[in-house]
Amino acid sequence: MLTTQDKLSNYLLIEFVQRLQTGEALLKDSTENVLEVVGILKSYGIVLDAYSQNLMYIAEHQFLQFFPFFKYFNGDVSWKKLFRHIWHNRINFEYAEYCLKSMMWHGGGGLDAYLDSNEFQAIAQAVIAAKFKNNPLVNILNQLFPDALTEQLRVSAYYSGLGQFWRVMSDIFLDLSDRYDQGKITSIPQIVDLIKAGLVSNALNPITYSIKIDGKVWEILPKSVGLTFLPDTAVPYVEAVFFRGTPFLGVVSYNAQAYQIPPDQSRFQYGALYADPLPIGSAGIPPTLLMQDMRHYLPEYLHKIYRNSRRGEDDLLIQICLSFQKSMFCVTTATILGLLPYPLDTQDISEQQANRMNLEKWMKRLQNSQLLEINK
Amino acid sequence: MLSTLIFLQLLGAAVVGFYPSAISGKLARFISLSFAIANFLWTVFLVIQFNPVESGQQLTETLPWIDALGLNYSLGIDGLSLPLLVLNGLLICLAICSSDQDIQRPKFYYSLILLLSAGVTGAFLAQNLLLFFLFYELELIPLYLLIAIWGGQKRGYAATKFLIYTAFSGIAILASFLGMVWLSRSSSFSLEDLHLSALPLTTQLLLLGGILVGFGIKIPLIPFHTWLPDAHVEASTPISVLLAGILLKLGTYGLLRFGMNLLPTAWAYLAPWLAVWAVISVLYGASCAIAQTDMKKMVAYSSVGHMGYILLAAAAATPLSVLGCVMQMVSHGLISALLFLLVGIVYKKTGSRDLEVLRGLLNPQRGLPIVGSMMILGVMASAGTPGMVGFISEFIVFRGSFPVFPVQTLLSMIGTGLTAVYFLILVNRAFFGRLSAQVIDLPRVYWSEQTPALILALLILFFGIQPNWLIHWSQPTIAAMVYTPNLLATSSSGKDLQQNLETPDIHIKIHQSHF
Repeated sequence: MLTTQDKLSNYLLIEFVQRLQTGEALLKDSTENVLEVVGILKSYGIVLDAYSQNLMYIAEHQFLQFFPFFKYFNGDVSWKKLFRHIWHNRINFEYAEYCLKSMMWHGGGGLDAYLDSNEFQAIAQAVIAAKFKNNPLVNILNQLFPDALTEQLRVSAYYSGLGQFWRVMSDIFLDLSDRYDQGKITSIPQIVDLIKAGLVSNALNPITYSIKIDGKVWEILPKSVGLTFLPDTAVPYVEAVFFRGTPFLGVVSYNAQAYQIPPDQSRFQYGALYADPLPIGSAGIPPTLLMQDMRHYLPEYLHKIYRNSRRGEDDLLIQICLSFQKSMFCVTTATILGLLPYPLDTQDISEQQANRMNLEKWMKRLQNSQLLEINK
Repeated sequence: MLSTLIFLQLLGAAVVGFYPSAISGKLARFISLSFAIANFLWTVFLVIQFNPVESGQQLTETLPWIDALGLNYSLGIDGLSLPLLVLNGLLICLAICSSDQDIQRPKFYYSLILLLSAGVTGAFLAQNLLLFFLFYELELIPLYLLIAIWGGQKRGYAATKFLIYTAFSGIAILASFLGMVWLSRSSSFSLEDLHLSALPLTTQLLLLGGILVGFGIKIPLIPFHTWLPDAHVEASTPISVLLAGILLKLGTYGLLRFGMNLLPTAWAYLAPWLAVWAVISVLYGASCAIAQTDMKKMVAYSSVGHMGYILLAAAAATPLSVLGCVMQMVSHGLISALLFLLVGIVYKKTGSRDLEVLRGLLNPQRGLPIVGSMMILGVMASAGTPGMVGFISEFIVFRGSFPVFPVQTLLSMIGTGLTAVYFLILVNRAFFGRLSAQVIDLPRVYWSEQTPALILALLILFFGIQPNWLIHWSQPTIAAMVYTPNLLATSSSGKDLQQNLETPDIHIKIHQSHF
């Protein structure tokens, strides 16, 4: 039976599919939206840069550490930094780890597949043996529980993979901001095009990960495996963080025993595109941490808009979250368009049909998202 | 010294009301607030002068006025009126602070508030029945106008209803006062000249009936309560604060001062029925509160319920229970004032008090988090959560009343549980959950708006932790009031009294049998 809700959803679905087909974005084009998206992506770019550096540091210097107390210090441990950390006047690197865990949990892409391969396990065991060659206790434990330390190396590989992915994204967003400041970006479709171009130009960047033990370099993700930026990190990231997310670790949690969580992980809708910005936190990765980080790097033109809003800075985190969600729909648009089976401007009817079906699939997934809210 | 309290406020009312030119709401508020603060500071000075060890009237002032009528200007203060006087001084300041600075006709508004305060102060200080009545009636006029002019949509209806009820209240009280003086052949309306113990019990019961009806309307007790929810709903926030915080206390003060204190034999005789009346008030008020969807109406019905505790404690008339009366008056004054202030802020910011509409107001960024936190504190205090003044007062009331009226006390304690029920409904609906769509974009709450509530919240906590600072002012007065032979008879059964209906000194016999 077709309900009113279904009809409405279908109507919206068609509307947004048509919008994408005509080169528009999921977010409607307006001067305010451009300003908000660019401004928030600038602060996001700065934060991602910090996240990326820390993830790479942890991957390269804190691997197989049982107690990485100072993993957020990037090797620069001092009393000043320690007090600053305890005082919480710092970047919330935990957010990056939540994203990483979400990616690991949902898997997908070549990186995840490779980390489950025998080839990786062989390399991992060799690395573990090298790392703990003078530690018989750990060697015995490794013999008894061979998956434990291997899993730790998998996590390290994800640290590196996400770090490399965010390195690229940070550069794209900061480049976008520079271009906006130069007056070269004036519309949402231009933003989407720039992000898409960035994704496409970096699509085949190799994802590699190597560590050094006693001067010897160990290739954990060798270039020969052929892991690349777009299919092996970007797409799994978008899937895990934007779409699926996690039904816990937030203010609102869901009860699996009450069947509030779908048994099939692919049907999860707890990602950033679905998060309700109002209850600060919401389900999934707590956006609060990210919002708190971004508030330090807001460009003045955006901060001024927030200050002049009805609640001023009282609801700054919510306003940042709303803007961030808008920007994420732009990134999603770029990803969707980037992953179309055929060029958007193809004249071939069958290719147009295939594109349309592809877009409809995406839009069906976005039916419960905040898509309508951000376009109000 | 006591006259200063009255005349300072009358002067303030005159200065604001007759200010030679048109003034802004802000200036009118500033002037009236200055007078209110001066009044409060003077009250604090009187508190310092007050000797808490003495039980009788202190700092008395007497001036002859109309001797032919037996009316003299006689003022005094004791442990019963002192806490209420301080409460009045504080709440007037807070009510003026929380008044809208852009209010229409500010000169008239603020002069009425100061006039109202002068009337209430005079009533608490009066040591002459007729003088009390004059002040009691004086506060009705400004209150009627404050509701009728600055009230909500149905303000005319609510104000008229209030006026009719309180007019009847005045008639009943005046009739009783006249009866007391004439039947006792007293030379004046002065409290110290009245010797009513010689009156037959039936006469005393008749006089007490008038007092109970008169002040029962003011408190209000079931079934005289129907004016209160309407008045509260239609009155603006500061007026609701004054109405619940201090004006209702005139009723309970009158019951204690002129009912329990002047007619102890009749009081003792009626006490079991008064306790039953109290139980009905408590349970009916709480039940009605549960059924409300308007936050303000819920708090108003809560007042009806909570004032019932005072009647219960007064009926028991033990030293502890009467002390509980005073504590409950102050406690209810602080808590209900806080709740009305907070409901007022919610209404001002959201445009609604409807529990079907409001949701998630505790949202830390988009909602009213501080208001919500104080609301939770207020409802906890009202429900008698330990650590807050509501617990202390209710505990003393129950502890003091239980030995005399165990069944009624236990039934009244159900009211405390019901308070938790309806206030949890309020908090759960309006403050928890996700912000509803209608209130998703609320304006910010300024500190100036929530400071009055914050002061009350702090006092509720302070007196909850350190109740002795409140109790020790009243203990000697209460002890003197209760340790009369008459009131100790309260614990005897009504049957004994019935048998000795025509023997006015029955109480003495019973008193002797106690020892």
